[in-house]
Amino acid sequence: MNTGRLTPQEAARWALRAGLPLSDDRHEVVAGTAEHIQSVIATLRELDFGDTAPAAVYATGQEHVNAAV
Amino acid sequence: MQPFEMSLTEAARAVRAKELSPVELTESVLDRIGAVEERLQAYVTVASAAARRTAALAEREIAAGRSRGPLHGIPMALKDLIDAQGMPTTASSRVRADHLADGDSAVAARLSEAGAVLLGKTHTHEFAYGLTTPQTNNAWDHSRIAGGSSGGSAVAVAAGEATFALGTDTGGSIRVPAALNGVVGLKPTYGLVPRHGVTSLSWSLDHVGPVTRTVEDAALVLDALVGHDPRDPASSPFEAKGRLGSELSRDDSDLTGLRVGVPRNYYFERISPEVDTAVRRAIGTLQRLGAEIVEVEIPLTRYVQAIHWGLMVPEATAYHEQTLRSVPELYAPDVRLLLEAGELVLAGDYLRAQRARTMMRDAWTRMFRQVDVIAAPAVPMTATKSGQEAVEWADGTVEAVSDSYVRLSAPANITGVPALTLPVGHDYAGMPIGMQLMGRPLYEAAVLRVGRAYELAGDDAGRLAPIAA
Repeated sequence: MNTGRLTPQEAARWALRAGLPLSDDRHEVVAGTAEHIQSVIATLRELDFGDTAPAAVYATGQEHVNAAV
Repeated sequence: MQPFEMSLTEAARAVRAKELSPVELTESVLDRIGAVEERLQAYVTVASAAARRTAALAEREIAAGRSRGPLHGIPMALKDLIDAQGMPTTASSRVRADHLADGDSAVAARLSEAGAVLLGKTHTHEFAYGLTTPQTNNAWDHSRIAGGSSGGSAVAVAAGEATFALGTDTGGSIRVPAALNGVVGLKPTYGLVPRHGVTSLSWSLDHVGPVTRTVEDAALVLDALVGHDPRDPASSPFEAKGRLGSELSRDDSDLTGLRVGVPRNYYFERISPEVDTAVRRAIGTLQRLGAEIVEVEIPLTRYVQAIHWGLMVPEATAYHEQTLRSVPELYAPDVRLLLEAGELVLAGDYLRAQRARTMMRDAWTRMFRQVDVIAAPAVPMTATKSGQEAVEWADGTVEAVSDSYVRLSAPANITGVPALTLPVGHDYAGMPIGMQLMGRPLYEAAVLRVGRAYELAGDDAGRLAPIAA
């Protein structure tokens, strides 16, 4: 999904809203990297999650607790 | 054979038989550090005096008949993200210049209890946020990368500068450097080894595990590390299934009845021909040992990188929130940029990554109904030259070196399954190639059994990197 390219000024403003003031010489490189990260992560917007819950509380192996060895 | 050349298993046997003392072994490894460290730069700190004191104590305890088990008196190193009381945990960063650990991490405490001798702290890519460890040189070819982020630990073990080491793994950081330096690395099941006192890169993906010369050694170290610790909120209340440590049979190379899955997608795509050949040859060995080979389809591969980045990038930025604002200039440029850009990831995207992780875990659980273990390349290519930034594949695609090294590792971080890498040959330049074995959650015993069987079928397990002293 194309969400529009992030400009250096937008990156600076978003970072500021997140509480991180960026000096002028950081705007362009941060915008470029953030854009690349977003292009990778945005792939997840293709998925239909239905009722799937986040895995934030993650307990590996619960289903195997009584499994025979 | 010099003591520093011995695997953990060999050294433990010699110590138990009183053929070798912990002091002799530790002195041999310290001498080896003195001979090769200038070229390798594996260590941040070598604590020689403390190591000699611990070795002498171990020697007295063993002489008095108070053996603590196979790690007693064995010299080892910790990645410098892992707290050891009274030592700085630098994370190989100027940000941590004044750090001093006020207590042992859970794993350092467990190794201490087992009688292991701490030699020092090994280099990491800064705060584990990278795949090269630029301070450290590959043990086999000093002009090539060590791999990362546990590069110092892997190089130290490969070069005889430590009999074993611990690393951490968020997207391959144990397995990548282990594969690139021809040693064994084990990323255990998520939550099996507690992370209390270990600097985090990404809470939901971080693991701690052993880097060793042999699979048998990895089993011994893992045995000392496992067990619930309530100080790590992700620490699993469940125990590993089956046999670990010294209970892993030394001579069982019969894999009859075991189903080994070989991916028909993803893991053999965009890899070097030499890696392809070596790993398929190793899988052929497993088949000759009795394993049934089953072709499997790896699910949801299109979303591996998106899930991995969607979890890791904002979590890493969150961890560094304070220092990114107070001392940003102290970070290396690559790490600073990733941390800054991470501020711009939306909460909605983070939640999508968390939900997609649930889907991937469930899909992998279904896949593992067909097989006991999956065998695949650990990394797509051997160690690149230092400074190389991209690789071009046969299909014409160009990939960042770091993305390439993470690509085959990240699924096991996302799903939390145990993943072992072990050496299975060399490329034309003589650089080591690693095979990855993945199993069901908590079934470390299965991947260790298969890896051990492979080792028994060959004759060069535990071989050190060829470095002239």
